Amino acid sequence: MSVSRRGFLQGQIVGRSRSAAEFMAARGHEEHVAEAMQQGRQGGRAMSRPQTPPGVEAIRISSNENPLGPGKAAIDAILGKFPEANRYPFNSSPLDADLEILIAKLNNGKRENVTLGVGSQEILRNAMRVFTSSARHLAEAWPTFENCSGVARQLGVPVKNAALDANQKTDLNALLPLAKGAGLVYICNPNNPTATSVTGQALTDFINEVRKTSPTTAILVDEAYSDYASPSAFGSVIPLALTTPNVIVAKTFSKAYGMAGVRIGYAIGHVDAIRKMARYRMPYNVNTFGVAAAIASLKDPQHIKDEAARNTAVRDFTVKALADLGHKSTDSQTNFIFTDIGKTMTAAAFRDACAKHGVLVGRDFPPLEKQWARISIGTMEEMQKATDAFRQVLRSTTTSAGQ
Amino acid sequence: MTLSRRTFVRTVGVGASAALAGNIWGRGRENSLWSAFEPDLHAVERGVICIASNENPVGPGKVVLDHLRALLEGGAKPGRYSGQAGDLQDAVAAKFARYNVKRENVLLSEGSTEILRAATQVFTSKTRPLVGTIPTYEECAGYAELIGHPVKGVKLNSEFKIDLDPMLAAAKGAGLVFYCNPNNPTATYVGAKATRDFLQKLNASSPETTILVDEAYFDYVTDADHETHVPVAIENPHVIVARTFSKAYGMAGLRQGYAIAHVDTIKKLREWTASSGTGSLNVFGMAAATAALQQDADGKFTANERARNKAVREFSMKWFADRGMKPTDCQANFMFVNIGTPAKEFRDACRAKAVLVARDFPPFEKTMARITLGTMEEMQKAVQVFGEVLGKKTTSAAA
Repeated sequence: MSVSRRGFLQGQIVGRSRSAAEFMAARGHEEHVAEAMQQGRQGGRAMSRPQTPPGVEAIRISSNENPLGPGKAAIDAILGKFPEANRYPFNSSPLDADLEILIAKLNNGKRENVTLGVGSQEILRNAMRVFTSSARHLAEAWPTFENCSGVARQLGVPVKNAALDANQKTDLNALLPLAKGAGLVYICNPNNPTATSVTGQALTDFINEVRKTSPTTAILVDEAYSDYASPSAFGSVIPLALTTPNVIVAKTFSKAYGMAGVRIGYAIGHVDAIRKMARYRMPYNVNTFGVAAAIASLKDPQHIKDEAARNTAVRDFTVKALADLGHKSTDSQTNFIFTDIGKTMTAAAFRDACAKHGVLVGRDFPPLEKQWARISIGTMEEMQKATDAFRQVLRSTTTSAGQ
Repeated sequence: MTLSRRTFVRTVGVGASAALAGNIWGRGRENSLWSAFEPDLHAVERGVICIASNENPVGPGKVVLDHLRALLEGGAKPGRYSGQAGDLQDAVAAKFARYNVKRENVLLSEGSTEILRAATQVFTSKTRPLVGTIPTYEECAGYAELIGHPVKGVKLNSEFKIDLDPMLAAAKGAGLVFYCNPNNPTATYVGAKATRDFLQKLNASSPETTILVDEAYFDYVTDADHETHVPVAIENPHVIVARTFSKAYGMAGLRQGYAIAHVDTIKKLREWTASSGTGSLNVFGMAAATAALQQDADGKFTANERARNKAVREFSMKWFADRGMKPTDCQANFMFVNIGTPAKEFRDACRAKAVLVARDFPPFEKTMARITLGTMEEMQKAVQVFGEVLGKKTTSAAA
C-alpha cells in the first residue's frame, strides 16, 4: 500500500507507514536515554513515569521524535537490504563508507571530514573522550541536552555551566569566559530542551573568539534539530567546521529523518578533529539497514522539506493554542516547544495531569522545572487532542486558583 | 590531506600496537578502520564470492526477515523502544533457562564489540594488563592500546590452540584475560573440561583477574567435548561470556550481541556500554534477534546451520588435505590452513578471480590463510580458484 505525501501532510498514518513509523521512529527513545542516565546516577532507581488511564492509547509527545517516521524511500531501501542481512557493514552494498561519502559531498567536504556514530550519542561520547579530561573541563549552557554532562560524570570531567539568557537562548557572552582552558565547549543549536537557536553569525563570532582566546579548546555544535529551524533564526556552522581546527558539528537521523530507532548519526568537521574522533569509533558501529535508509533519505530532500513544513504548521497551531490560554512559548526552531506554564503549575503537575488525559509530555528540566514544560510536536491530529487536554488541565487549575 | 590506507594504518593501527605488545596485536579491526577511509576496499560486487569475514552465507532465515517485513509494512505492532530491549533480554534468558539465567544476567550490546570494549575498559588499567593469545580477535587489544592500557600476548601452541599453561602464567595479576574459543583466526577449540580447569586455576592463582570467554563461534563447534561457560559466568563474578548474532544467526549487518555474567559484573559493564547509558541499540537488531531466538527455541535452527557448515567445512578441509596443505582442527565457520605461501599473494590472486579471502594474521601471514566457509556451491567454485592459484605456485616452486 502506498502512502501519498498528502497523506503525510494531513497527519494520517495508515497501513505500511504507520507500522514503519512506530518501529523506526522509536518514539520514547530520547526519554528512554534520559531515564537510563538518571537511573545510573541514582543507583538503579527508575524515574517515576506518569500513569495514563487503562485502555487509553497514549499520545507520546515527550521525547522529540518525528511521529511519522522515515519516508517511503528509506523503507524501500531497507526492504531491499534483506538479502544482505548477513553481511558486515564493510562488505555490504551500499557500504557504511558510501554514507560518509554522500554526507561529505552534500556538505562540500571530503570523506575524511565525516565519521559515523551509533546515533549522535556515540559522537558526543567520543568527543568527550577525545577532548576532555579531569584537567580539561566541559563548558556548556544549562539546561541543554544532558548527554555530554552525563559522560562527564562518568569520566570524572569537571563541568562549567552558563545560564541561558532571558529568552531561554544559549548565552554566548556568558559561555565565552567558561570556554577558556576547556577541553570541549558543547552547544546544542537549536537547544534541547528550550527549542531556541542562536544565529549562524552569532555562533561564528563566538567560535572565532574561542579560537583566539583558547585555541586548544574543541567546540562541538549539535545540530540535531536544524532541519526544523527557519533560516532567519538559524545557520549551520558546518562550512566553518570544515575549515576550522577543533570545530565539529554533530548531526543525527533521529529527528526530521524519523529514524531514532535506527541509531545513525555523524560528526562533520575539520579533518584533524574527525580523525581523532574516528579512532574512538566502535568498529562496524552502524547497522547496514540503517545505512541504506539514511542514504535513501539523503537522496530525497523534498521529504525533509515537507516534514519541516508539516512540523511548522502543527507547531504554530500548538503554540497558538497555549498562547490563547495565556501561556507563552519560546521561539521554537525545533519539533518541540518550551512553554511557560509557571503561573499555573509545575512541569511535574502538568505532566501528571496530562497523563490522566492520555497525553505524555516532557520530563523535568532543572532548574526550569517549576515554570517550564517541554512538549514535543506530534501529528496535527495528535496535537488537536493534546491541546484539548491542555485546555482542561490548565484551565481547571487557573479557575480553581482564581476562586 | 588525503588519508591513504597506509597512512591511516600507520597512525591508528599497526604503529600504535608496535609500540606496545611489540607487534602484532591491534592490527585488527582493519576491515572497519580501513573501510573508514577506503570505500572500495571491501565492496562486494555481484558475482564475487566473499569468504573473508566469517559471516554466515545463508543469513537469518525467512522467519526473521518476514517478521521485520511485517514491522515495516504493517500488520505487526512494535513495542515501546525500551520494551523491545526487555523482550530481547527475556528471549536470551529463555535460551539459557536450563542454566537458570535471568534477565539481569544479560547485557545487550551493539554486536559483541561493545561488550569486548566495555570489559577492557572496566577490568584493565595502566597497571593491570590485558592478556590474550597471538593471534586472536583483535578488538580488546586494539581498544586497550587506544586507552593506553598494556597488552600481553601469549603464543598459541603447535596446534594453533590456546596454550593454557603459559596463558595462566601470563594472566597472573592481569586485569582481563580475553579467551576466544573457538579462536579467531585459527578456528581451534579448547575442550570444555580443559577450559573449566583453566578457569578454576586462574581463579586460584589470580583471584582478581576477570576472564572474558568469547563464544562468538560456539554454535559451530562439533567437538564432542564442548559446553558453554554461561553456567560458570552467572555464578562467578570474574567470568563473562560474550555472544553475537553475527555468526550462526546470520545477521552481522544488524549489530546485535550480548554478555552473560553475574549480576554484579553486568552492573559494572553496563556503565560502559552505550546500550544502557545512551540507548544505542537499533530496532532492527533487537527485533530480528528476538525473532531469531524464538525461531530457535527448540535449537533446530542452530543445529541445521551447524550441520550445513560442517558439511562445507569437511569438503573444504579435505580439498586442502588432499593437496598436502594442512588445516587446523577447525571448529568454526572458517578454516585456518597452511598454504605454504604468503597470505597476501594468495589473497591478491584470488581477488583477481573474484574470490575475497584471507587477510593477514601475523605472525602467521607468511604461510597461513584464513578462509571463511561460504555455501557449498560457493566453496565448490572457490576451490577451483584456489587450485588455479595455488597449483601454479606449487608447480613453479617444484620447478
